[in-house]
Amino acid sequence: MALYAQPPTSYSDPTTAPIEHRFNPYSDNGGSILAIAGKDFSVIAGDTRQSEGYNIQTRYARKVWQLTDKVVLATNGFSADGNNFVKRVKQRLEWYEHAHHKPMGLKSIARMIQTLLYGKRFFPYYVYNILGGIEEDGSGAVYSFDPVGSYEREACRAAGAAQSLIQPFLDNQVYFKNQQPEPGAAPFVAGNLPLSTILSLVVDSFTSATERHIEVGDGMEIYVVMNKGRTTDDLIGPGILSEGMHVEELGALGEGGGERTFLVTSPLKRD
Amino acid sequence: MFMTRSEYDRGVNTFSPEGRLFQVEYAMEAIKLGSTTVGITTPHGTILAVEKRVPSPLLESSSIEKIMEIDSHIGCAMSGLTADARTMVEHARVTGQMHAFTYDEPIGVESCTQAVCDLALRFGESVEDDDALMSRPFGVALLIAGIDEQGPQLYHTDPSGTFVRYDAKAIGSGSDAAQQSLQDAYHKQMTLVEAHTLALKVLKQVMEEKLDENNVQLAQVTKERGFEILGETELKNVIEGIAA
Amino acid sequence: MSHHPAMWKQPSAHSSFNDYATFPLAQTQRHSAISHGATQHTQQPLVTGTSVLGIKFDKGVMIAADNLASYGSLARFRDIQRLHPLGKHTLLGVAGDMSDYQWLKKELDALLRQEEALSLTDSHPSLSPSNIYDLLANLFYGRRSKMNPVWNAVLVGGWDKNKKESFLAFIDLLGTTYTAPTLATGFGAHLAQPLLREAFEAKAGVDGKGPLLTQEEGEKLIDDCMKVLFYRDARSINKYQVAIITEEGITISDSKSAPTEWSFAEGLRGYGAQTQ
Repeated sequence: MALYAQPPTSYSDPTTAPIEHRFNPYSDNGGSILAIAGKDFSVIAGDTRQSEGYNIQTRYARKVWQLTDKVVLATNGFSADGNNFVKRVKQRLEWYEHAHHKPMGLKSIARMIQTLLYGKRFFPYYVYNILGGIEEDGSGAVYSFDPVGSYEREACRAAGAAQSLIQPFLDNQVYFKNQQPEPGAAPFVAGNLPLSTILSLVVDSFTSATERHIEVGDGMEIYVVMNKGRTTDDLIGPGILSEGMHVEELGALGEGGGERTFLVTSPLKRD
Repeated sequence: MFMTRSEYDRGVNTFSPEGRLFQVEYAMEAIKLGSTTVGITTPHGTILAVEKRVPSPLLESSSIEKIMEIDSHIGCAMSGLTADARTMVEHARVTGQMHAFTYDEPIGVESCTQAVCDLALRFGESVEDDDALMSRPFGVALLIAGIDEQGPQLYHTDPSGTFVRYDAKAIGSGSDAAQQSLQDAYHKQMTLVEAHTLALKVLKQVMEEKLDENNVQLAQVTKERGFEILGETELKNVIEGIAA
Repeated sequence: MSHHPAMWKQPSAHSSFNDYATFPLAQTQRHSAISHGATQHTQQPLVTGTSVLGIKFDKGVMIAADNLASYGSLARFRDIQRLHPLGKHTLLGVAGDMSDYQWLKKELDALLRQEEALSLTDSHPSLSPSNIYDLLANLFYGRRSKMNPVWNAVLVGGWDKNKKESFLAFIDLLGTTYTAPTLATGFGAHLAQPLLREAFEAKAGVDGKGPLLTQEEGEKLIDDCMKVLFYRDARSINKYQVAIITEEGITISDSKSAPTEWSFAEGLRGYGAQTQ
């Protein structure tokens, strides 16, 4: 009897080879997020489209979340993981406040998010997080994460479906990559752009991504977190925001340390 | 004894009809047998001072350890069954490290104290599957000194798991007299040097032996240097200061 | 295998002895030589329901689903109901695996019975549609995280008595959640959702702030969509029910069918009489 009288069909014919049949617990729900830090403020933004493949599931789903009076978190990737991750973060913030009688600071939230993400290293949250807000010293800050918890503080970051479209633009405009100062002019310093410039960059990023990426569009939510005592003259007032944009102040979540959070909303193209 | 206590002091977790837990109260008595320990808070930092009882000239006095570091910004001094304190300090150290790992910031002094006190009532007859426990209450009280964004602080913990914050506190065998002296001499704007001097003066009053650099220990927690146990020369300087 | 509702139990390209693909075969069966005794959660839907549609109208929300439960391409059960009321103001419309749906009904009915018992003895508040939805979202996400999914896509429709507003939201086997004024599962997401959105936005505008459709307009729209689905979705049947949820409560219609037109098919090669 020949051992290989009947060779396994799987080796000879790829179409009948055993295929792994397994439940895939992940999905990608598209969309994009970004954040840019200023000297004494931070801007965190995301679009509101949620999609799966070519289907738009909804034109309004939240991706950006106010966590405390000085911290805002944006999530992108698999929306079910994102929503449940935010739920856990908020629960931990509440526990922390009960245990330590103070709201968790920005860098502590950043570290805690790392431990939460790495805690699921072998069944990761398929979520890219960007955290923005005001640091203990009053400076504007942005932290970005990968799905398993690697993180760093940066001046700006884009993530999600249109990351590859937006990040190079921000590298150029925020980090001044591939730019030369005028002869004799002072060298560029990243992270010091005025609010009006940053708002324009955010709006341009999303309108452009909407043009070129099918998973981005419908609406935009821009959170602006300002350090205490900072002027709001460059955000609120006639003629500052362009047509169709709307701004509202979000009340303090806790006792209120003087930091203020504003939500700027704007429609994006829906096609 | 049995006549008055009606044997309600047998089970460690049994209330007496008057609503008392005798084993916990006895544990507090154990502290009154311990050597005197003093803590004082100043705007510049918190200090701790302990008496080290040296019953024999053959005993190496440096091996008596009654002040321990919990974290770089928190320390504690003890009175009572000092071996029990090792369990508590170990727990406090782990909690402090866990906090720093998880939140990228030093743990608060009160939170650290709370963590220690969470252990205090985990004694009794363990039920099956209970992540139990100890057979008896801790027989030690701690003075926990530390500094955080709230400034210098001093906490007192006892075997019941209660913790209270003090400006100045004395525990141990001479605590009654020592506490009275602290109350008379303490003021809010003390300097660190004044606090050192006061602590040793108070200890000197209640100690049976003559106070020297071998039978007392001084420690401090300051914003600049964190927790540190004072070295022999610094200690000698303070002792000379009170002799003068 | 794709878990997308459109792919649920489509005939497999790899079938080796099920050439007509009339019934679902688990892939593992055909490779029993390599299977072993370990516990496996991994499943696939067997008896399935297709699209569910939902739309908000001026006085509430309506949800529709047909009466078919398919076994692969076999129209196996032609008189099942896929609309299930939970209490007085919440209703589920369920697509996907029908045995998981029956389990879900049992669990939720038990929970609601308990809640009702509590509400008889004290002022225990009744579960709002969003309460039930959150519970489902946690259940579905919890099960997917254990790699043992509840293989359904569910529309939750309801009326919130306290907020005095309608409720419509989606949840699927991955724990994905979202809400919108018009929703559809499976093939409905491809074929019906564009029609629903077009009709909704024609009155309410793109911001949804204008007047909503009336109940009559809504029902007409649903009838149109169910007809389109019957024409194009091979796993559908021309027999469906529509549930209306308003402040007054829930009414589920009797089964009905859309008038269809097949005369065009006579001229199709391979369908009508062959002319050559």
